[in-house]
Amino acid sequence: MQRSSREYTIWTVGLVALLAFALLPVLWIVSLSLKRPAQVGDGRFIPQEVTFQNYNSLFEGGLDSPLLRPLINSIGIALIATVIAIVLASFAAYAIARLDFPGKTAILAGALAVAMFPPISTVGPLFDMWRALGIYDTYPGLIIPYLTFSLPLAIYVLVAFFREIPWDLEQAAQVDGATPFQAYRKVIVPLAAPGVFTAAILVFIFCWNDFVFAISLTSSPEGAQTVPAALAFFTGDESQFTAPTASISAAAVLVTIPIIIFVLIFQRRIVAGLTSGAVKG
Amino acid sequence: MQRHRSSLALVAALAAVVGLGLLLAGCGGGGSDDNTLRWFIFNEPGGGPQQAARQCSQQSNGRYQIEFDFLPADADGQREQLVRRLGAEDSTIDIIGMDVIWTGEFANAGWIEEWTGQQADAVSQGVFDSVLETARYEGRLYAAPIWTNTQLLWYRSDRVDQPPETWDEMIEEGVRLEENGEGGRIQVQADRYEGLVVWANALIASAGTEILSGPEQIDLAEGPTEDALAIMGRIARSPAAAPDISTSDEDSGRLAFQDGGSAFMVNYPFVHPSAKEEAPNVFKNMDAAPYPRVEAGRQSAPPLGGINLAVSSFSDNKELAFEAIECLIQPENQIAIAEAGGLPPVLEELYDRPVIEEIYPGFVEILREAIETAVPRPSQSPAYQDLSLAIQRSLHPPADIDPEDPAPTYDRLRDYVQQAVDVEGLL
Amino acid sequence: MEASAEPVARTRAASDRTRSERRLGWMLCAPAVIAMLLVTAYPITYAFVLSMQDIDLRFPGEGGFVGLDNYVTVLTSSLWWEDLFNTAFITAVTVSIEFVLGFAIALVMYRAIFARGVVRVSVLIPYGIITVVAAFSWFYAFDPESGFVNNLPLVDAEKAWFGDRWSAFTVIILAEVWKTTPFIALLLLAGLTTIDEGLYEAAKVDGANAVQRFFRITLPLMKPAIVVALLFRTLDAFRVFDTVFIMTGGGQQTESLSILGYNQLISRLNLGLGSAVSVLIFLLVLTIAFMFVRFLGASVPGREREAR
Repeated sequence: MQRSSREYTIWTVGLVALLAFALLPVLWIVSLSLKRPAQVGDGRFIPQEVTFQNYNSLFEGGLDSPLLRPLINSIGIALIATVIAIVLASFAAYAIARLDFPGKTAILAGALAVAMFPPISTVGPLFDMWRALGIYDTYPGLIIPYLTFSLPLAIYVLVAFFREIPWDLEQAAQVDGATPFQAYRKVIVPLAAPGVFTAAILVFIFCWNDFVFAISLTSSPEGAQTVPAALAFFTGDESQFTAPTASISAAAVLVTIPIIIFVLIFQRRIVAGLTSGAVKG
Repeated sequence: MQRHRSSLALVAALAAVVGLGLLLAGCGGGGSDDNTLRWFIFNEPGGGPQQAARQCSQQSNGRYQIEFDFLPADADGQREQLVRRLGAEDSTIDIIGMDVIWTGEFANAGWIEEWTGQQADAVSQGVFDSVLETARYEGRLYAAPIWTNTQLLWYRSDRVDQPPETWDEMIEEGVRLEENGEGGRIQVQADRYEGLVVWANALIASAGTEILSGPEQIDLAEGPTEDALAIMGRIARSPAAAPDISTSDEDSGRLAFQDGGSAFMVNYPFVHPSAKEEAPNVFKNMDAAPYPRVEAGRQSAPPLGGINLAVSSFSDNKELAFEAIECLIQPENQIAIAEAGGLPPVLEELYDRPVIEEIYPGFVEILREAIETAVPRPSQSPAYQDLSLAIQRSLHPPADIDPEDPAPTYDRLRDYVQQAVDVEGLL
Repeated sequence: MEASAEPVARTRAASDRTRSERRLGWMLCAPAVIAMLLVTAYPITYAFVLSMQDIDLRFPGEGGFVGLDNYVTVLTSSLWWEDLFNTAFITAVTVSIEFVLGFAIALVMYRAIFARGVVRVSVLIPYGIITVVAAFSWFYAFDPESGFVNNLPLVDAEKAWFGDRWSAFTVIILAEVWKTTPFIALLLLAGLTTIDEGLYEAAKVDGANAVQRFFRITLPLMKPAIVVALLFRTLDAFRVFDTVFIMTGGGQQTESLSILGYNQLISRLNLGLGSAVSVLIFLLVLTIAFMFVRFLGASVPGREREAR
């Protein structure tokens, strides 16, 4: 389709505006991370002199560096929690969307209720429980609450999507000669993909970002301490009163990279589902 | 139904594998040695505590080994972590690095051990009286001071000949400098956090009264308190106030002073080496003076901070912990901590030593006198956190205090403080 | 659905099917339900129990059952109502802005004629940045001393953004909108992709213009995605904590309910009052959810016609 240059201009302007909105604060964080700690307060958007010392200091000490272990923990815990959450949520959503059984609404309502309880209140009892069970400061110790609090969203999203899938297509495919599994794989899965990958991104980012549980249920990078919690332990250079703004900014920038990768891989999938042609014709 | 089953089976298998992986990931985590003492404290950037711990562990000849469990950098975060464990009667904690304001609260809750007899004498002999106050509850000693901290008045000697003696003088000078375009801003700490309470307490004490006269009795004599409040309002409303005063803290003050637009700042000594390294042009004109007075004739009462070491009541190694602490506060260790992190020692006699003069060149005497005349915050109250919240709520933002009529603020302050002492209501 | 005179065999087969379907349904839901209950059953019950006691960790010997006293204390405190207003205000404004903005962004992400991937990733970065860090960076940006905003051309160089209630709200809302609009945009984008393009073609043939197509096709078909997005975002916004905490600490009358709860529970260690506040927040949030389901209708699946 021929596009007028006017359309291109409008789009370009719009996109630039959008990107500016999304990325300006990010650029500000990058700018802070490139400043010498003393210049953090100078009010300039572009640093007077660019330095990488904040980044270097984050990786000093190899495995004992302030950021490496927590980063590994964050990635591991978020990935595992996401996979399990999607699996469990898919089961439940499939059942709720396709099957008829009593207690459906109760489960959904209950799921929502569970997720909505102020986390700060649950942290105290959880701390006690986890210490008694011996999973304090371990991967399961964080993965389990992450599951609990992300499942409702995942279930709701997946239910909303599964309900939109015309299941007769599955039967139509089988009539056309496909086996049940082929029908499922070639027809249903692509249609479910946008929902599944969207839910996956949301769960991952939830786990990645969490601070409340991480700070309360972990205590060491050798255990299960994740990056947000580790940031709370960063100190300034000279004294307890100096805010380590520059190094925290550097850590935040670095730690956003796995998110970018994760989202990059998944966002294509979200839109890919529809264009496979399964729905048309 | 079959199609459900086959895909179900696949997914179930996947889940099982993941679950197994989860279980395996959860394994690990070491046990602890019987003579390991775990010291819970924030990671002091200078590394002084670590040095002291190493020295004492060696000196003990194997009787104990001190290891660190670091707490978050901010005091509230530290307290949150500690309280969660102490409330759960966790035996992991042996030695606690206590902020000076937690003494009453922790002691009353039965979380820290009392120091008695010879050990009490050993850790309190030669320590500043004001500092010992912060470690006492109901007259009994509950912790051993290891380092202290106080605030001085830092000023630009190239802009004023003599440092101001009182707050009002300082405001006048600041306004004059601002009007002449010479940069006369005043830096304080007035964000809605503990720093505001530090400032308010110092002003109130400098005015001649106290917030509490006993664990549950409110003092806050009307006249002096209103004088103190008026000063807060006057500073906040003056042209010499920092534009970000209502979110100002120790660090923002330091940075602002280093930027050059300020002539006065009340802050801890850490700003001195910081300016030396980061803003040499400002540093060469930066001098220290005693904390400003409220009235010309009355000695000021600088703020008091620092860390005391306490033994957890749930520790399995109390005897060893007491011993270790006695070692950790040795003069040599106090000096090492001062050298590494600029943190003032608690033993009076150490201020005569040349090495301390090197750390605080030119203002050792001012520092010593500040600690001597400092007045602690009401840490003997078990409800200190409530008090802190109450004070923050009634005095923030300071610009809301009318210097001509501080009475409404005084009433509000009194009400909230009463509520805090009674441990009632929402704060 | 009355039993007809048809062979009993068929009805029996039907009820067999319903039974096995029910069983399958429960089996599929069970893992998720267990995961959710396992963690929350004890803490939530415990919180309810605590809320009816006068219990303060700092005074271990005292306290006991006091029934609804804590709730009375909370509900008769002007602080509670002020914070409720603040929270409701922030929620209403942020969610409204986010919805409109999020929809626009979703449309852009869907229909962008070039640089799709870049746009989508960039838009999601704000959501992926650690919340506390994002809040700090906004705080720093607007700080009169160390931020760049006051150095911008049209802005008053001395403006103390956090010194006044409404300008503080502005920054808080701005930061919240920036952070979580991608959440709504993402859900709406995924919703957009489920709409059959063919419908648009057909409508165009019928003479419908873009606006009509949007309101008659897009919006209705996206209702489930919209409701999920709004529901979760509203419930989350209502529990706002980090952003407000970092920017004003609750000062200048911007305190949110969650901060109030935190102060009682963690600062004051008054577990009774703190739990009461938490329970009340919980009940409020449930009410909001209920109203969503009631008035925005269908999205509670299960009340719907089964697509069989």
